[in-house]
Amino acid sequence: MGLIRISGLRVAFSTCSEEIRAVDAVDLDIRSGDSLSLIGESGCGKTVMGMAIMGLLPKNAMISGSIRYGDQEILSAPDRTMQQIRGKEIAMISQNSANALDPVMTIGDQIAEPLLIHRLLPTTEARSETLRLLSALGFDEPETAAGRYPHEFSGGMRERILIALALICNPRLIIADEPTAGLDAQVKSQILRLIKKQIASNRTLFLITHDMGTASFLSTRIAVMYAGELVEAGPTKEVLAMPRHPYTQGLLASLPSAGLHPIPGMSPAPAHLPKGCRFCARCPSATDRCSTLHPPLKETSNTRQVRCFLYD
Amino acid sequence: MSRKIILWGSVAVLCIYIGIALAAPLIAPLGPTAITGKPLQPPDNRHIFGTNNIGQDIFAQLVYGSRITLLFGFFSALFSVLISTGIGIVIGYYGGLVDEIVCRAIDIFMPIPMFPLLIVLTTFFSPGVIEVSLLMGILGSVYGIRIIRTQVLSLARTNFVEGARAIGASDFQIMYRHILPNVMPIVMVKFVSASQHLLVMGVGLSFIGLWDTSTIDWGTMIQNAYSQGGIALGLWWWILPPGIAVIGISLALAMIGYSFEEKFNPRVEVNRI
Repeated sequence: MGLIRISGLRVAFSTCSEEIRAVDAVDLDIRSGDSLSLIGESGCGKTVMGMAIMGLLPKNAMISGSIRYGDQEILSAPDRTMQQIRGKEIAMISQNSANALDPVMTIGDQIAEPLLIHRLLPTTEARSETLRLLSALGFDEPETAAGRYPHEFSGGMRERILIALALICNPRLIIADEPTAGLDAQVKSQILRLIKKQIASNRTLFLITHDMGTASFLSTRIAVMYAGELVEAGPTKEVLAMPRHPYTQGLLASLPSAGLHPIPGMSPAPAHLPKGCRFCARCPSATDRCSTLHPPLKETSNTRQVRCFLYD
Repeated sequence: MSRKIILWGSVAVLCIYIGIALAAPLIAPLGPTAITGKPLQPPDNRHIFGTNNIGQDIFAQLVYGSRITLLFGFFSALFSVLISTGIGIVIGYYGGLVDEIVCRAIDIFMPIPMFPLLIVLTTFFSPGVIEVSLLMGILGSVYGIRIIRTQVLSLARTNFVEGARAIGASDFQIMYRHILPNVMPIVMVKFVSASQHLLVMGVGLSFIGLWDTSTIDWGTMIQNAYSQGGIALGLWWWILPPGIAVIGISLALAMIGYSFEEKFNPRVEVNRI
């Protein structure tokens, strides 16, 4: 069953002279219990997708299409409705950065804040819930940790705090946007294991990442995004074993384990998207048709979709 | 001299002033208006600062006068900080048209000198001490609004504010729980420095008689001494005590303000003293 159904989502930003199409006609279902990874390189519009689900797109974004949460339309929902959903029903693990947490508030207070905002628990119980969650996330002395300020923690510990902040209200969907950015390999694998244990195994996860390794470790389904549109989607194992779209093939070939073969060229500027296939200029198997006609996203089997003329 | 000594010395001076103002009836039991001796007595054992032209004890007047002067400085600074913090946070957070309008209004207000403006306004309204302090608070908040707004502008775009939105916090909750605590250090610095310069300005206003001249504060004391010929006759004990008292509190507040600013604002050079 689709927990989130995105259909025909378009998000564009207009600058003084040109229109930037960040997300272009994306259809995507996030099924209950799924772990879905959205993969793509920087600037392909994947963060904008997460923001659109949260209803946190900037005011100058031009949005069309529909995002349904259960049977509720949330793309055009008023802010007041979204405030009820954010944090409680759909939570977000934001990118780890130095100012991802309020520097003047203890982390215990910050983690308990969603519970208090949504009036789920009274203050004392919110506090004990916070401590319980902190110890579940690997803090040895939750009491002491709760009284500390964000700058007293290392990057990995801050990431755990951000995870706690997303988990505290027991939401149905968690959106994780590059949860391991800026962490070293050792800490990264700890955090990924933690996310797998706490989220991917028993909740719905929507993971936004550029890292194939992270995606294959955490997700059951993968959607690949290129220049604002989906180019391939399917179960993780199948996509990794047999990638169909040349871009996905290129991504896998560029992994260190596959010999670090980069995809030549650059992705097109979102203000000047080509008329035909958007990957055409970098594609090793492009034909004349690719540069003039825009390929549709086609079902190649029950579970897989790909946007390429090679599979006509 | 180390910064610490200056800070704690200034805090001690401030505490002494506040203590004297609070304990005024104990220190000068006869009150500021009682005629306790011959007119224009120089300091002696009974009147340690002498008497004024109608035989009132200058020490008692100084002690009671501190109440009005300190309260005035405190309230006008409080009003100024409340207004500038409130408006600064709201316009910095929301931005847009209202922000634009307020900023242009501030641009217009900034070059108007505050003292002459106050003189004009007070002659229209003939107000009491609280009204004048409210008025000064409003006028004095103009600079503060700008400083707070600039801080909020950058805070409102930080990740933790975005994160607060992502947990379902409303705009008010974000402003109250996240932005206000983050601008609090600047608000404290502003409060101390505003109380210093508004207090001195208040003494000036009362010296030129812009509020009820029957209240006894340091400004009216100097005014009395001046208009009754105290300076011409060389009656130093009449003029100096309120004058030195103003200098003392003003220095103490200024030093506290500087120390706070050095502590909270990393861009200020530390090696000033």
